[in-house]
Amino acid sequence: MLQEGGQMKRKLSFLIVLLLVPAVVLAGLLLFDGKQYAFTSAAVVTLAVFAFFLSFEKKENAGTKLVLIAVMTALSVAGRIVFAAIPAFKPVTAVVIITAIYFGREAGFMTGALSAVLSNFYFGQGQWTPFQMLTWGLIGWLAGLLAAKLKTSRVLLSAYGFVAGISFSLLMDIWSTLWFDGGFNLSRYLTLVVSALPHTLLYAASNIVFLLMLNKPVGKKLDRIKIKYGL
Amino acid sequence: MRAFSSLHPAVSMLHFAAVVAVGMFSTNPVIEVLSLAGGALFCATLTSPEQKKKDAVFYVFMMLAVVITNPLFSHNGVTELLFINGNPITLESVIYGCYMAVTAASVMLWFKVFGEIMTSDKIVFLFGRLLPQISLVLSMAFRYVPLIKRQAVKVSRAQKAMGLYSSEKVVDRIRSAVSVISVLIGWSLENAVETAKSMKARGYGLKGKTNYSDFRFTKTDFCFVFGCLFLLVITVSGMAIGKLDFYYYPSITAVPSDIYSLICYAAYGLLAFLPFTFESGEMIRWKYYKSRI
Repeated sequence: MLQEGGQMKRKLSFLIVLLLVPAVVLAGLLLFDGKQYAFTSAAVVTLAVFAFFLSFEKKENAGTKLVLIAVMTALSVAGRIVFAAIPAFKPVTAVVIITAIYFGREAGFMTGALSAVLSNFYFGQGQWTPFQMLTWGLIGWLAGLLAAKLKTSRVLLSAYGFVAGISFSLLMDIWSTLWFDGGFNLSRYLTLVVSALPHTLLYAASNIVFLLMLNKPVGKKLDRIKIKYGL
Repeated sequence: MRAFSSLHPAVSMLHFAAVVAVGMFSTNPVIEVLSLAGGALFCATLTSPEQKKKDAVFYVFMMLAVVITNPLFSHNGVTELLFINGNPITLESVIYGCYMAVTAASVMLWFKVFGEIMTSDKIVFLFGRLLPQISLVLSMAFRYVPLIKRQAVKVSRAQKAMGLYSSEKVVDRIRSAVSVISVLIGWSLENAVETAKSMKARGYGLKGKTNYSDFRFTKTDFCFVFGCLFLLVITVSGMAIGKLDFYYYPSITAVPSDIYSLICYAAYGLLAFLPFTFESGEMIRWKYYKSRI
């Protein structure tokens, strides 16, 4: 009985999230005339992340799964801190992709989204946090979806890491533009993209390096642990 | 001496959300200046003198950069000041740049103090009811980060001592980084599975499990929530009926200054200055008590 009550409550909160999206758009139009795009996108992105989280909460997840996600999140964050000295070399995306390939798309999303929150406790939270959460989360989710192919083909894996790196920058720049201009100013967007280009390319390339060098040894370890503990 | 951070986490969160949402997305210059002043003063009560100096330099330069670059991107507006490469630099885009600079600085300042006030335990507590499993993951990850960092240093030293990847070349540094991560993954996953087994053995996920927390909702918290909501409702009502509307393009409109808008400014100003007042009130009381000893 108790169990069912919890399920109902969670279904209800899921519905509320869905209803909140149009409410947010309306509130943006009414309250923040002139900045409605920035407000609406921020609120909708937050709600999207929240909906993902609620669907994760809907299940009773095994302790092992929770701990695995916690470790992979901590690893990507610690990596971002330890290797902060090498510019643009951040293992976050690579760790998220590897988690997704070996533990599925849900673990990938959670690791990506939680890495964003957690690392921003060290590097500074800001209005960009929800956007980073959604973007890194989706990178993990998609990698989990393509897991079978990414596991076997090094070319596809590199391509995915590269595209993920580029899209992360392109998506974050969309948000910066919306926030600064209150609408989509193409010339500002292009300037942001072009001025960040060297960094973006280096970042995408570093993803490939990390993925190619990590995939095999880490994959072996993960498979071994799966067998050893019967996950 | 952090009076504000002794409030209940939900109360701090509500106050922060109210101030930042309005300040971030409103286009009214008075609101923005109030938000910046409130945030800057509050930040000043929390930081050391050296940090204050550093912050001041950083924020002034950031704001200048925004003010200077905005007219180069945006050629909207009707009052042309001069032409660069055939593109007009307009008065409106310069002023919009100032508005953007103030908004950006104020939001960053509020997030900065939010980070000081809302420590990780408060965040985990706050979302623990709604997202119990995710909060657990997050609090475990918080614990693992320093653990993994310490282990990373150990592994990297051991590698150096064995003569591996010891040159300062970039290739060597990257190879070292990758092998450290690989080692860490193996090490921390074994650790993690042990933790999970231990959790299971102690009955994680069984019915009737309770959580420990030492946050209490006091009378002060109640007054604070009531005050915040009251001020927020006034401000939002003004925004909803367009009393705070302000436009930069095509030409700058007059700053709203009838009675209703003035009340809204006062309400939002009180909201933004609340933490600073709270904090300095506590400081004065502290000094007073100390002087009586």
